[in-house]
Amino acid sequence: MASEDLFQNDYSEEPDFGQDLDKNEEMNTEAAAAESDGEDAEPAPAPNQTTNMSPPANKTSNGSKASEPEPDGKLTQLPMGRIRNIMKLDPDLQIASNEAVFAVTKAVELFIESLARESFTYTAQAKKKTVQKRDVELAISAVDSLIFLDGALHF
Amino acid sequence: MVERIEDLNLPNAVIARLIKDALPDGSNVSKEARVAIAKAASVFVIFITSSSTALAHKQNHRTITAKDILQTLNELDFESFVPSLTQDLEAYRKMVKDKKESKANSKKDISTGDATASSSSAAAAAAADNEDANK
Repeated sequence: MASEDLFQNDYSEEPDFGQDLDKNEEMNTEAAAAESDGEDAEPAPAPNQTTNMSPPANKTSNGSKASEPEPDGKLTQLPMGRIRNIMKLDPDLQIASNEAVFAVTKAVELFIESLARESFTYTAQAKKKTVQKRDVELAISAVDSLIFLDGALHF
Repeated sequence: MVERIEDLNLPNAVIARLIKDALPDGSNVSKEARVAIAKAASVFVIFITSSSTALAHKQNHRTITAKDILQTLNELDFESFVPSLTQDLEAYRKMVKDKKESKANSKKDISTGDATASSSSAAAAAAADNEDANK
């Protein structure tokens, strides 16, 4: 490779003298690239790569199809099946109607939001922007209805 | 049934989104705080379930219904959830009803018989019972 470099550099100096114009123009560009790179004499990647134009068109047609809203909209963000599984841990539970599972799922979503909001009041009091575990614990110990969580987070 | 213990965890991404939506813009949640809230949510499910089960048993009901859940929330100082939940339940009932109707229509198109599948008719009967209980 080193000898090739040398060879090309030799050529690149020659265009100054106006010999072999066609060939020298080619070599000049190559040499210029090599010089700007510092060491490599490899030809720079051709700038005229205009082949990848059709895939985006395909993508847009696919994308518009995918972005269409699903026909049966979901009413819950949390998966109801997962909530049902947690509910089934209760040995006394015999049957829970689908509506009951739905109600619990929605209630949990509200619970998460309100616990987050309650925790954030302590974050704001400390003049911080990031809710820490400490804030959640403070919120739990401050709100009466959250007494059932006492000790539940330390396992 | 539950095959893996992870199946009892609530999905992290959803928890993170719910928290983020509740907080003002520009605020963040540390990972530990998010895990703590997720754990609290799981405990909340268990807590509400066991309270509702106790309530249903007191009334000699085997099945716990949405009504039991709402009553439990009222008793446990989560009455602020009830109005919003009542609305959501209405939307849910409407969705189930619409689904059932569209299913019934498509069934009529395909088959003329009434006793198509014993399992599905049993499920439908159970659902009807639940709805009756809720009224």
